[in-house]
Amino acid sequence: MYNILIITIAKILNFFAKILGKILKKDNGNLLGKIIKKISPNILTKFKINCPVIAVTATNGKTTTNNAIKYMIEKNGKKVVSNTEGNNMETGIITTLLKNCTITGKIKADFITLEVDESYVPVVFKKIPLDSLVVLNFFRDQLDRNGEVETLILKINEFLKTYSGNLILNNDDPNVVRLGKANKNNKNVYYFSVDKYKYATKNQTEAGEGKFCPFDDTKLEYEYYQYSHIGKFKCPKCGYGDEELFIKIENVDLENMSFEENGEMFFTKANNIYTIYNFAAVISIAKLYNLNAIDALKDFKLNNGRSEEIDINGVKTIINLAKNPTGANVSLRMLNEDKEEKELLFVLNDNPADGLDVSWIYDINFETVNVKRIITSGKRAYDMAIRIKTSFFDKDNIEAYLSIEEAVKSLYSSDVKKYVIANYTALQPTRKALLEYKKETKKE
Amino acid sequence: MRELKLLYLYPDMLELYGDYGNIQVLKYRLEKRNINLIIDRYSIGDKKPDFTSYDIVFAGGGADNEQSILSKDLIKFKDDIKEAIKNGVFFLLICGAYQLFGKYYKGVEGNIIPGLGIFDYYTEAIKDRSKRCIGNIVLEVNLNGDKYEVIGFENHGGQTYNVKNCFGKVLVGNGNKFEDKEEGYFINNVIATYLHGPLLSKNPKLTDYIIEYCLKRKYEEEIKLEPLDDTFEEKCREELFKVLEIKKEIR
Repeated sequence: MYNILIITIAKILNFFAKILGKILKKDNGNLLGKIIKKISPNILTKFKINCPVIAVTATNGKTTTNNAIKYMIEKNGKKVVSNTEGNNMETGIITTLLKNCTITGKIKADFITLEVDESYVPVVFKKIPLDSLVVLNFFRDQLDRNGEVETLILKINEFLKTYSGNLILNNDDPNVVRLGKANKNNKNVYYFSVDKYKYATKNQTEAGEGKFCPFDDTKLEYEYYQYSHIGKFKCPKCGYGDEELFIKIENVDLENMSFEENGEMFFTKANNIYTIYNFAAVISIAKLYNLNAIDALKDFKLNNGRSEEIDINGVKTIINLAKNPTGANVSLRMLNEDKEEKELLFVLNDNPADGLDVSWIYDINFETVNVKRIITSGKRAYDMAIRIKTSFFDKDNIEAYLSIEEAVKSLYSSDVKKYVIANYTALQPTRKALLEYKKETKKE
Repeated sequence: MRELKLLYLYPDMLELYGDYGNIQVLKYRLEKRNINLIIDRYSIGDKKPDFTSYDIVFAGGGADNEQSILSKDLIKFKDDIKEAIKNGVFFLLICGAYQLFGKYYKGVEGNIIPGLGIFDYYTEAIKDRSKRCIGNIVLEVNLNGDKYEVIGFENHGGQTYNVKNCFGKVLVGNGNKFEDKEEGYFINNVIATYLHGPLLSKNPKLTDYIIEYCLKRKYEEEIKLEPLDDTFEEKCREELFKVLEIKKEIR
């Protein structure tokens, strides 16, 4: 009876929040969960879930992968409940489930797919049953907020010691593979891998973690690096890294946006290596649940500042989110692999959600960046300009503007192709400024 | 062409907070003045470096685990490093490296990582893991008699005690300990500090102080550095002073 009451309150609140949200033009992705959690701290345990729950966690790629899994399952004719907007902490997940449950707390769906913040995996799945957990990668990320990567990995490792559901792991990240050893009795550990691609390197070219074997502190040996510390590694002492593969992606062709898996050709909309890894996870899930992934991956595209392409008065513009060094480096990798003439706008904020420390921009490889002009903006526009200048990029081709509107205006003073990279809180204001600029200049 | 030689210690282990950027900034400000910077790297397993043959030695901050692995290696060079400091080689030590040059680092569980013991200070981790000195920090530093505000970012759980000559007075932020008035350690040719940012990126005068010191020592003559276009640096500093002072008033 109590549960029904709480959920009723939630439903009523949600109704008003929707109206209020529309008036205030504010997102209510966490608010409802926050309020209800105050009233009923264990609300997550009250839901009646009778379908498999699939979760994705990682430093980078959570939102894309979760959305792709949802899209894939729906293409197979099933009903999915998911937190597709990236509200990945406990309150965001509560909100998602509240919005999609009956008055008795029943979730009517064939699958629930969730992206979950790394540090919330143990918190959330103590309270709701978990059928499959996908772990994509661990990179350094907002050190002043999250602390060292190692602390996060240990948290998830602790949770996995008593977990015996499906565990789908990226075999090319030494920080991830170790999680497969957390529970020796779990027979449901599956590894996926992507074979060496065209721009893989012999040496590590981007900042990364996982240099030492987690079991005996020996320096790991790499056959090649795909990006950051993702690649084919092995511990020369204990052999760590030699796992049997469940899914192996081969013949990655980024120009034609295709790859092969077990003899089958996949055509996608992804022209970068890190998205191929996300898709390898999607294919793993498809195989585990006997679903088809080929059709879904053919047209899956997430248009929310994740390699999003827009046309601004005939000028092709690609927007990409980059919250940490690896995110920025893979974006620049994509830019460098594109041989067309282009310019770059980099927007950097230091709001609490971004992390207050901007030192990480020195882990971005501007030394090899292949553009004519770079414009910086955001609260830390000048820090960014200094970073780019000290990489010996000609300072006369760098412009810094605190105001995003001014930055955008200057960006389109030429009509070559544009790449836009923005960090977390900078992304939506940047998209907005771009779209508004498009609207304004169209009228003229 | 003139040149300076820099030794970069443990680049694969002490590289967590973008501290490499300090070398990048040094290189930039040297090369814009037609002075070459040669960078040699040393890490575990490499041939022992000849510390006294360098003009600058640099080391940064790393993850806890990696710091305890390398402390054993570093201690082998204690006498050579002492000799180099006596000789006037410039040492720039950030965060973890700052701690490693002191007597010891005592971890949360009471475990002791021995330091080089070259300086008298020592560091103890705060018991509560969630408590760290984190945030933007501004110091007032004395560079050859000139006062200069040094801007950076601190992120450390360790509390450093018994520092004889601090690097600077804290204007905004914590310093060697929670709500301390002093930050870092500074003698003529050693700067040891918690400041990331990276330290040199927002403080061109500090970078030039180090460059001048090294050139003077190497070429034994008065050095007048050619001024560079520091428009971005000046605007960056102005903006941060503005933001941080507003925050100071709210406090």
